Amino acid sequence: MKKLVLFLLLCPLFLRAQPLRVAVAANAQFVMEELKTAFQKKTGVTVETIVSSSGKLTTQIQQGAPYDVFLSADMTYPQTLHKAGLTTAAPVVYAYGSLVLWTMGELPVSANLNVLSDPSVRHIAIANPATAPYGEAAIGFLKAKKLLVAVQAKIVYGESISQVNQYILSGAAEVGFTAKSVVLDPTLAKRGHWVDLPQTGYAPIAQGVVVLKRTSQPKAAEQFLVFLRSPDARRILQKFGYQLKP
Amino acid sequence: MPIDWEPIWLTLRLASITTLLLLLIGVPLASWLALSQFRLKPVVESIISLPLVLPPSVVGFYLLLAFSPTSGFGAWLLHHLNLQLVFSFEGLVVASLLYSLPFMVHPIQAGLENLPVSWREAAYTLGQSPSRTLWRVLLPNCKPALLTGIVLTFAHTIGEFGLVLMIGGNLPGQTRVASIAIYDEVELLHFQTAHAYAALLLALSFAILLLVYFVNKRVTV
Repeated sequence: MKKLVLFLLLCPLFLRAQPLRVAVAANAQFVMEELKTAFQKKTGVTVETIVSSSGKLTTQIQQGAPYDVFLSADMTYPQTLHKAGLTTAAPVVYAYGSLVLWTMGELPVSANLNVLSDPSVRHIAIANPATAPYGEAAIGFLKAKKLLVAVQAKIVYGESISQVNQYILSGAAEVGFTAKSVVLDPTLAKRGHWVDLPQTGYAPIAQGVVVLKRTSQPKAAEQFLVFLRSPDARRILQKFGYQLKP
Repeated sequence: MPIDWEPIWLTLRLASITTLLLLLIGVPLASWLALSQFRLKPVVESIISLPLVLPPSVVGFYLLLAFSPTSGFGAWLLHHLNLQLVFSFEGLVVASLLYSLPFMVHPIQAGLENLPVSWREAAYTLGQSPSRTLWRVLLPNCKPALLTGIVLTFAHTIGEFGLVLMIGGNLPGQTRVASIAIYDEVELLHFQTAHAYAALLLALSFAILLLVYFVNKRVTV
């Protein structure tokens, strides 16, 4: 009896094929859900995602985290991994991202960022520029607008775009800089309102993907990279506000 | 890499303020729990003990929602007291009070419960009021328990991480405590700096615990 119970408990281990583990920068977590579904439909390969800031994922990969593919929010982090000999090839751009200013309240958000000086704005959420490329872009944008010094005291840092979204959605921060792909997610599209930020203050955010050398599933990982360039995947990326050209 | 001492001082400040305030809250609370015959006492005890078993992320999540200016409580605080508890040092203090409460209350309560009942009864028959009995007879006789409560509260607050990560916003001098600073330095691959902070905290925590174990051979939590 005991043996049977043990066998039944271990059954799932034998029956489940090893999923493809994709580490995803927080800005792409929502688009990844749709990409995942489409990819699974196409190839039958199950995908597991791990969401965090690009910097954190890079550190984890350097410390031997068992991921197969890494979708970063920039080119620098995957480049670092490539230089360290941890990837199968140099990073390829899978999409170009852009910033939006997002609020839950009735604040008049506009591309000139005037709202940031409004006294009712006590906190501006930005991803940690040291580890999240979207945070770096947001700081760059504020600098270009000559606003950084004026609003510095209001800035609070999320550890990734995910936490910035938590701060904005919970109302803890009145406004915040997030990725366009976040506010275009169907479940979030109706929440609050947002405005596109012109890419004059910051370069379009080129996002790179790499396959990690330690992958246990090189074939499935390659399939996923090919899939990212397919018309299906491109349609999904565009739907979430990513551009395919700089 | 120069060491930025600010996160360390911030952690020590947070731990000191939390310990002091919890001493003021914890002593009356523990005394009441130890001496009262209230029928719903287990309910109160369970609530106080919750931070021992709940993941910090649960407490952090609820506090983020509660402290947010858009919630009823957060709006009330902002409006009436001009107090903003999310992304602020004050918020970390309030969170730590909740989170370290059992570490102060349990040892003191246990200490009081372990005193012979006859002492209390003797004081009463000699005409002393309950509060005077508590201050003059009972509390002076459970100094080790008080010290344990103080030290454990202090140490536990130093070790806080998940909660601060969720409601702090990583502001230097405000909410970037040592545990968060370590996390950041590791992320940035500044292992040297992370080592320095980590070693400091390790030494500090060890020294504190050693003190407790020396003072009373057994820690009752």
